[in-house]
Amino acid sequence: MTVTETPAPTTRRLSTAKAVSEGIAQEMERDPAVFVMGEDVGAYGGIFGSTGGLLDQFGPERIINTPISETGFIGAGIGAATEGLRPVVELMFVDFFGVCFDQIYNHMAKIHFESGGNVKVPMVLMMAVGGGYNDAAQHSQCLWASFAHMPGMKVVVPSNPYDAKGLMISAIRDDGPVIYMFHKGVMGLPWMAKNPRSVGPVPEDAYEVPIGKAAVVHEGSDVTVATLSMSVQHSQDVAEKLAGDGISVEVLDLRSLVPLDREAVLSSVAKTGRLVVVDEDYRSYGLTGELAATIAETDPTMLKAPFTRVANPDVPVPYARSLEQRALPTRERIEAAIRSVVGA
Amino acid sequence: MSVEIRFPVVSKNPGATGVVATWFSRDGETVVPGQVIAELQVDKVSIDLEAPEAGVLRTLVAEEAEVDQGDRIALVE
Repeated sequence: MTVTETPAPTTRRLSTAKAVSEGIAQEMERDPAVFVMGEDVGAYGGIFGSTGGLLDQFGPERIINTPISETGFIGAGIGAATEGLRPVVELMFVDFFGVCFDQIYNHMAKIHFESGGNVKVPMVLMMAVGGGYNDAAQHSQCLWASFAHMPGMKVVVPSNPYDAKGLMISAIRDDGPVIYMFHKGVMGLPWMAKNPRSVGPVPEDAYEVPIGKAAVVHEGSDVTVATLSMSVQHSQDVAEKLAGDGISVEVLDLRSLVPLDREAVLSSVAKTGRLVVVDEDYRSYGLTGELAATIAETDPTMLKAPFTRVANPDVPVPYARSLEQRALPTRERIEAAIRSVVGA
Repeated sequence: MSVEIRFPVVSKNPGATGVVATWFSRDGETVVPGQVIAELQVDKVSIDLEAPEAGVLRTLVAEEAEVDQGDRIALVE
């Protein structure tokens, strides 16, 4: 008998947006309790593509378009989760959290505690974050520290397609509330300028990326850059450039803010003796200060050079392109910070 | 024998320009039928482009390049 073998594709790549929707689809196939709800998640496939193709595959009973009523549909998601379903709810932009934060923080995050652990809220609340495309002050923020600051919710922030799928699957399978924040710039969208790192290899089978584990995405020995989301891609670009100048940069993708993999930061800094934290959130009262405190509480003598941070200044994200590029943690600012701490 | 892949005619406006926004598969890679090899865009609509049959992909236009609808953009050999 002659068997004609189908050749295996060389590499299967997806954009981050397609990786997110594939992760959701595979969990929906596996578990009938999983469903999706939010503004334009149906035929439009999510404003940033996170639910592309899901309506055709699962129909309007499991892919539910909602009115512009964030308090209503996030509250409905919380209720569904406490009754045993596993909702994936999309808040279109993190910037809109102000209209629905009571549901998020006083209910989604607290029901588990207030019930002594008897009522679980297995819900994923995903949302688009970040700037860099001139969408102005109310559509360009990251704000992840605001969610990470308050106890009760895991907060995950993928930087690439592989992690985006694996973290989504882990988030859906988690029995507690998970905030899933995708930066528009890492989604690999056809209508937005993209870094090639936003398209990458993604296994077809379902897999989990553990929540709370950082990843070394570029090994180095002179300085640690701890960062997350879009800034990981920028930092990888800078690390590759500086390698040519003899500066060895270790880039740590934190991947989640809650739990925060402090051990990974400490072990990298123990090796390099220098730490630059790159954060697209506001400078004050956020991740950068938290990691400085982690070093100070553990062993301040680990650092051979002053702790350095590259973050958004404490002003609303500007609309004008020239001003926005001055506010964001761009490659130029990251490079300057690294050169400063290594004295080159 | 090679199979031509043309940019689909999606827009009723014949003058609408198409863009190969992303090549998920690269020139010289092996593809299988049904595999999404590119994301195309025309008039703000995105379309997934699937490989028509198994073989080696030969891309004929660069990512982000503008083409006319119906233009030849790749071969599968």
